Amino acid sequence: MTKLFLIVPDSLIRRFLLILQQGFALKVHVGCTVEELLCQQLGLSPEYLEERIQTIFLDGNPIDDVTSAYVRSGSTIALSAALPGLAGATLRKGGYYAPLRSQISYKQANYTEAAHEGLVFLKLFNLSLKELGPVFLSQGVLVDGKSLSDFFRAQLRDFWEDCRVAEMDGERITPMKLREITWQEQYVFLRVSTR
Amino acid sequence: MDKVLRIDVGAEGGPKAAEKPLGEYAGLGGRALTSAIVSKEVPPLCHPLGEDNKLIIAPGLLSGTTAAMSGRLSVGCKSPLTGTIKEANSGGQAAQVLARLGYAAIVLEGKPKDDTLYKVFINKDGVTITPDNNLKMLGNYDLVDKMKAEFGDKITCISIGPAGEMKMSNSTVAITDMELRPTRHAARGGVGAVMGAKGIKVIVLDDTGMGMRSPKDPEKFKKANNAWVEGLKKHPVTGEGLPAYGTNILANIINEAGAYPTKNFMWGRFEDCSKISGETQAETETARGGKATHGCHRGCIIQCSGIYVDKDGHYLTKQPEYETVWAHGANCGINDLDSIAMLDRLDDDYGLDTIEMGSTIGVAMDAGVAEFGDAEAAINLVKEVGKGTPLGRILGSGTAVTGKVFGVERVPVVKGQALPAYDPRGIQGIGVTYATSTMGADHTSGYAIATNILKVGGYVDPLKPEGQIELSRNLQIATAAVDSTGMCLFIAFAVLDQPDTFQALIDMLNAFYDLSLTADDVTELGKSILKKERDFNTRAGFTAEHDRLPEFFKKEPLPSHNLTFQVKDEDLDTLYNW
Repeated sequence: MTKLFLIVPDSLIRRFLLILQQGFALKVHVGCTVEELLCQQLGLSPEYLEERIQTIFLDGNPIDDVTSAYVRSGSTIALSAALPGLAGATLRKGGYYAPLRSQISYKQANYTEAAHEGLVFLKLFNLSLKELGPVFLSQGVLVDGKSLSDFFRAQLRDFWEDCRVAEMDGERITPMKLREITWQEQYVFLRVSTR
Repeated sequence: MDKVLRIDVGAEGGPKAAEKPLGEYAGLGGRALTSAIVSKEVPPLCHPLGEDNKLIIAPGLLSGTTAAMSGRLSVGCKSPLTGTIKEANSGGQAAQVLARLGYAAIVLEGKPKDDTLYKVFINKDGVTITPDNNLKMLGNYDLVDKMKAEFGDKITCISIGPAGEMKMSNSTVAITDMELRPTRHAARGGVGAVMGAKGIKVIVLDDTGMGMRSPKDPEKFKKANNAWVEGLKKHPVTGEGLPAYGTNILANIINEAGAYPTKNFMWGRFEDCSKISGETQAETETARGGKATHGCHRGCIIQCSGIYVDKDGHYLTKQPEYETVWAHGANCGINDLDSIAMLDRLDDDYGLDTIEMGSTIGVAMDAGVAEFGDAEAAINLVKEVGKGTPLGRILGSGTAVTGKVFGVERVPVVKGQALPAYDPRGIQGIGVTYATSTMGADHTSGYAIATNILKVGGYVDPLKPEGQIELSRNLQIATAAVDSTGMCLFIAFAVLDQPDTFQALIDMLNAFYDLSLTADDVTELGKSILKKERDFNTRAGFTAEHDRLPEFFKKEPLPSHNLTFQVKDEDLDTLYNW
């Protein structure tokens, strides 16, 4: 797997965030609850999870209770801050209007799985993307190779002028070279920081 | 705001304006006023484009005051699209300006003697109505430029584009924004066609010399308004999410829920959603020198709009909203924001409802008129509408007509009006509102999520299967009440979570009019509006059989969740039992 490390100014971090809304993979211990994954493994504070993350999906189903929703290998978790509209209120975890989407709400699994290492997919949306995205980027995430190739090809001159350092598999490369690479592999390990 | 301006467009010698007292309509504003006038004065069986229909334009009860967010304008009539009563509302400057000029409503009535087109100019000195056939078939943008050249840049315009002039069932009434661009629209139900049928191209408002409306108790009003603003600013939706990403913040989430209608409601997820999401849109606007945070009228503190510029940084359109991005994007399989923005620009210029237009193109694509995903073809189809070609006339007649003409079974309409951007098989409670709304499929009919505070209809047990009916009923009642205040519906999020913010809204109304309204009174207002609207529809021939979603929602499972719409007809029929 290719390992890519970039140093960019704050102003460019915003653009990388757009990759994260499509979802990225993380190697974690699965066989746990959503709360355990987010707080104990990924480091979110319980207060942040309770107050700031208002809507959570597990495999496309809105969840109401983070302490009982169960993460398996290959699960996709999406995080969002508070959302507008009746739909926004309806999808909120444990909200008053949750009955309006009862047909798609997460139903508690009737099995458990022993904790083991596995991949989960995380999608960050809106304010969660803005607030958590830079942290995940600085720690490194697994992103889809094709999406990353498309992302670099779409960048204009200002991006390449501002990109300070690019390292691929430990070797320093000219940032512009990233435009020419087409990653065939499923995942590229991407780490982006501001210093 | 104690008078009504009635313009008889059929008077001898051309349209004549007369100011009348509010009379029995005193104390009403916005939707409460438009629906009261339509209900009382318009024969329910009349032709929507005929002599007996009326177009009522009304600011809300708090419009023209210093109350934040009070800039919604209601436009009511019998709808050419649905045949039901209609209230379409819009942001922009007009509600504030019209209210400051002292008008609770403008009523266009009668039938023109010929096809002369008129412009109406209203300022502190009165009303002038002038024939001007040079305005014929002008797009809203060119029209506003002409009005600016003639009347100066302190004006606000209420206008129709070519679609309204051609009396298309999909046609809007456009309202100019703070930059004097025709970007805000009373869009749903074909209200533009009724204005076109009255022969009025544009109403130009100039409130120079008019001050803010004064409350009966200025101190109490100021205090309540401060609490109101504080409540809106501290809430994460109205204070952070909407300003940062606009309404299109919803795209990723509704897509993740599997309820993002894709390719004419065939799928619940759009694989390219991230390319057209609010997050991508905001970043695109910011990177190009546009604006991701902007208001649609003065006094807006939520700032959910923006300015969309092209790749060279030139203005293209206002930030397309969630519904627009969905309708022209996912619903047509189009993943390019620039094309969607161009479609939005064309819709605004011709005076077309973006939801109805996107839905119509989706149906046309389903019929093979164009390929899903073909943005250029979609743009050309909208241009056909603007030109009024035979194909354009069909498309401009709306989704239902287009479906019939092209023999499509999957036609997402209720009472002839296209469904908005939430698949009712995914979020079934919203389907209840689509089915039973007095307006045809309308997401904003059940938008005001304040019902647990209002306790409209008593306590709802969320575990009961009938909970979705009760919730939808309560939402529709609350929304009707909010639509009467002139308040933007987006206030509802803060009101839902913060009882003190809701109280601030009631306090503002009480301080302004020297009233002692309670939450129960607000509920009663909402109920009385719905009752009048429902009664009008009944007299127009609508029955319970019209309160239904199209059959395919019950028969075609939506991929990903594999669900059909499961709310029973007999449960839908209980919605108006209160």
